[in-house]
Amino acid sequence: MGLAKGFGVTLRQMGKKKRVTVPYPEEKRAKPQRLHGRHVLNRYEDGMEKCIGCELCAGVCPAKCIYVRGGDNPPDNPVSPGERFGFTYEINYLRCIHCDLCVEACPTQAITETKLFEFSFANRQDAIYTKNELLVGDDGRAKRMPWEYWRGDEDDHTSAWMRATSSSGRSDYEGRVNWSGELGFGVRAPEDGQTVDSNIALAPTHATESHNGHNAKADH
Amino acid sequence: MTAVNEAKTTVTVTIDGKSIEARPGELLIKVAQDNGIYIPRFCWHERMKPVGMCRMCLVEVDGIRGFPPACTMPVSEAMVCHTDTDSVKAAQDGVLELLLINHPLDCPVCDRGGECPLQDTTLAFGPVESRFVEEKRHFEKPIAISDLVLLDRERCIQCARCTRFADEIAGDPLISFVDRGDHTQVLNFPDDPFSSYFSGNVVQICPVGALTAKPYRFKARPWDLATVETSCTTCAVHCRGAVQSSSNQIVRLLGVDSEPVNQGWLCDKGRFGYEHVHSAARVLTPRVGGREASWPQALDAAVAELKSAKNLHGGGAIAMIGGASGTNESAYAWARLTKGVIGTDNVDAQLGDGIAAEVVLGSDRAQISDLDNAAAIVLCAGDLKEELPVLFLRVKRAALELGVPLVDLSAAPHGLSKYVTHALGAAPGEQGLVAEQLASAIGGATPANETIAAATRSIGSREGNIVVILGRTSLAERDDTVVSAAAALGALPRVRFLSALRRSNVHGALEAGLAPGFLPGRVSLDSGRVHFTSNWGSVPAERGLGTEGILRACAEGKIHVLVLVGADPLADFPDRSLAKQALDTVGVVIAIDAFETPSNRRAKVFMPCTLWAEQGGTVTNLEGRVQRVSRKVSASGLALDDWRIASELAQRMGSDFDLETVDEITEEFSRVAPAWAGASTATIRNARDGVVLPFADHLGEVVFRRGGSSLDIEYSLSWEPIRADGDDVAVEASDVDETAEIDRTIATEDALTLFVWDRVVAPRSIPQRDAYALRVNVGRKLYDGGRIVAESPSLVGLKKAPTMLVSSADAARLGVLSGESVKATSSRGSITVELKAARGIAPGTASLGFSADGTGASELIDASVSVTDIRVETLR
Ligand code: SF4
Ligand code: SF4
Ligand code: SF4
Ligand code: SF4
Ligand code: FES
Repeated sequence: MGLAKGFGVTLRQMGKKKRVTVPYPEEKRAKPQRLHGRHVLNRYEDGMEKCIGCELCAGVCPAKCIYVRGGDNPPDNPVSPGERFGFTYEINYLRCIHCDLCVEACPTQAITETKLFEFSFANRQDAIYTKNELLVGDDGRAKRMPWEYWRGDEDDHTSAWMRATSSSGRSDYEGRVNWSGELGFGVRAPEDGQTVDSNIALAPTHATESHNGHNAKADH
Repeated sequence: MTAVNEAKTTVTVTIDGKSIEARPGELLIKVAQDNGIYIPRFCWHERMKPVGMCRMCLVEVDGIRGFPPACTMPVSEAMVCHTDTDSVKAAQDGVLELLLINHPLDCPVCDRGGECPLQDTTLAFGPVESRFVEEKRHFEKPIAISDLVLLDRERCIQCARCTRFADEIAGDPLISFVDRGDHTQVLNFPDDPFSSYFSGNVVQICPVGALTAKPYRFKARPWDLATVETSCTTCAVHCRGAVQSSSNQIVRLLGVDSEPVNQGWLCDKGRFGYEHVHSAARVLTPRVGGREASWPQALDAAVAELKSAKNLHGGGAIAMIGGASGTNESAYAWARLTKGVIGTDNVDAQLGDGIAAEVVLGSDRAQISDLDNAAAIVLCAGDLKEELPVLFLRVKRAALELGVPLVDLSAAPHGLSKYVTHALGAAPGEQGLVAEQLASAIGGATPANETIAAATRSIGSREGNIVVILGRTSLAERDDTVVSAAAALGALPRVRFLSALRRSNVHGALEAGLAPGFLPGRVSLDSGRVHFTSNWGSVPAERGLGTEGILRACAEGKIHVLVLVGADPLADFPDRSLAKQALDTVGVVIAIDAFETPSNRRAKVFMPCTLWAEQGGTVTNLEGRVQRVSRKVSASGLALDDWRIASELAQRMGSDFDLETVDEITEEFSRVAPAWAGASTATIRNARDGVVLPFADHLGEVVFRRGGSSLDIEYSLSWEPIRADGDDVAVEASDVDETAEIDRTIATEDALTLFVWDRVVAPRSIPQRDAYALRVNVGRKLYDGGRIVAESPSLVGLKKAPTMLVSSADAARLGVLSGESVKATSSRGSITVELKAARGIAPGTASLGFSADGTGASELIDASVSVTDIRVETLR
């Protein structure tokens, strides 16, 4: 009896409602706005690296999976603005819990999380992303590792909500988008639910003002 | 010290409603701090005079208008002070806002970020928001004010801690403020870098990231450092420090404020010399016959050599030099191996560049803190600023701040010359003679001359002991001049000696018996024979040779195996040609070292050992203070601790020490060594400032750590004196160690008395100097060519080629210009050296630096003659 009743439910539902699954991976559903995927290290629009090797991300990381070492910027060919740059940068994805605290801690918005989560590695070496692997390419886009499965513009959005709550931002973004422009993107638009003053131009601008964007903050 | 304080009356002050007893005249900020009330500050430092520059410490005091700074306000009876009222808060807020107006806030890239007093104080006491939107002042980002220190003037808050340190503490007033208003900046004088031996201290005490150390720049952030307390063993002062590592690499050494030893300061060689531990030149694997080998192969090869030499020629055919660079435990293990197992007394931790062990171990000893209230300090040693830098600071402070007369027996100008009150003007080699004159004048005889009379008068007018700082006055003289000075002065009732031997743990090595004629714990071979035979199995039959004798015996083919434990005679022995001859002749060299050196290059067996911060244990400083050193990073390569090498060798020689850990050695050492009687491992572990030997005499001085025996430091205020906490009340002897009594009984049963030097010296005659020759005084320089400097990238550039200083009269007589190169010839050899005319050098004498890379002065010195005379010719 029970069997017939059970199948009855199935039969009744068949063809009744819209299909909710998609033929993944050929087709992908839109990702939630606050999804936390793997990181990228951003660059300013002029190509300079944003990371200054300050280790704040490593210090705040609850999983202790970030390893950073700073270095003296070569004066004639600086890697990042200022005295110091991120000389070594590694994230161990066997440990990262994608909390985005590193993004929140970063004073230069160098580290952000994309919505890319489809990667599967077979050894530790691949799981530890080095600086070169995390750094965006010359087009400003994430570099695709052989063991990652994503395509197209899936890397477009990164950590807007975290950047808004970070030390130099405000959660509702009222009045001012306080993040700096990025190579290949310019000043990224806020996400849904965040507002922006109408006089802020979101078109690509040069990033000089933003280089020392953290100077203006007064929470010391 | 406390007795004096107790005699004074106290005043009662009220701070934030709390009633506090204090000594009149004490500073309000200090009184508050000692009673748990923290008044924010930037410029005030406990070890320096207050200046009231930064205004951060403003408080309210009833009856005084406005906000007086607590750091310049002495407490007085019935004073009522408030530190947390709304108006004080508003004042603090205002001061911080003002300080931040021009502050760049580059915290993320600032080496101070994360441990920055300005950050912390602003968070705790400061405004929430900045109202300042205008352009900040700009200076060129860091400029090098010396080879080791960088200055970022944008970050400076003009607290004058650095300039006051340079002036007041170091006596090198090479930095000062220039310009006015918001252009005020700290600067060194043009063309004159801040080349102080103590420059690293200003980095530590700067309350912001304005002064940073080049070697540490961007190496780590405070939150990734692990810290442990230890002692610097670069020289024999053993300044307390906090060594910090990140990812198993040492990145920083901070000075810890130990009242009896270093009062918070370090010299730059000690502070930055940690780099040599990670040098790429470290030998990481054992070698046999120049080829890499396994540990068992190396140990077997070494034992084969030792056994065959012993069987064929007896234990006396084996000699050991060294053992002064490790821990007490290593020194003890080596003493037991050489004297108890191999059966040789040809053992010496000194390299012929110190003074006889009898004098060091057998004289009445002073402590460093005795300098502060001495009747007088008599200098009979090399240049303390070059050899024992932080001891130099203590002597300078005693002379300058505490008014202790400084009596000088030196033959050449030195770092303390300008603070000397009575310069007795001894010629090279004649310190003994002048000391005899001084001693007999103090003893009541008619003074030989007016300076001695003046010195005698000022000593006579003061209470306390006469502290004689006794070290090797010159490497170009035999130690007999110092020994006879010690004999003459030691006969006086009030005299105490502070040893100025400089090498690392040399005092620990001597206390462990690494000297001919001695056994561990300050006993002579003869008086300790029974006791140590029962503990060790056997001891050598008769007294052996010191380093000079060993080298001579090697050269004569009487010694067949020479064991070098961290010793490099070619570099350090004053007479290079003798050292060379010895090493060329001796059959087998067995080396225990961390580096390949000219002396061990052709060693038959090379066994790599660990270095400072890779090995834990205890060390003994020049006053006999036993303190703990910590292991912070793991051993490099396959290196082993020296003590383990000794105990492995002993086992292979058929004598199992059964010592597996450092603690077990400390335990055995304190059980068998008379001077250590009563010092259990537990006592040493828990004693905050260490334990002074002989322990039984100093029980009452022990201060226990409050937090137990752990040396891990949780510090947050590296800019303030870092203190290991402890109960300031000395404990009762009975609390220290219940076995103390028992141990001393054992010692008496064996009739073991501590060695006392009989002050018998052989008569000596100083050869006449002929009128054309110059009698040369040779002293060490801080940045010599030794291993620590050579293998530390930040220090190696500081080494200077030695120059020879002569009086301008002699320069004129010789017809050479200051700065010209000359040829100097002694009976031993000749060298080419730059000559400079200098003030303070007596005509007929010369002063030359010893470069520990085996060139220069050591080619002129003949170890068998008592003074070195040279002739100088121009090269033109
Ligand atoms: S990513 Fe940001 S927080 Fe991390 S080291 Fe670089 S600049 Fe600092
Ligand atoms: S000195 Fe302190 S407040 Fe100033 S930049 Fe450095 S860390 Fe920040
Ligand atoms: S450099 Fe540092 S210690 Fe010197 S005055 Fe400036 S803030 Fe003070
Ligand atoms: S004085 Fe000696 S012990 Fe002190 S820091 Fe300098 S080298 Fe180290
Ligand atoms: S601490 Fe008192 S004025 Fe600076």
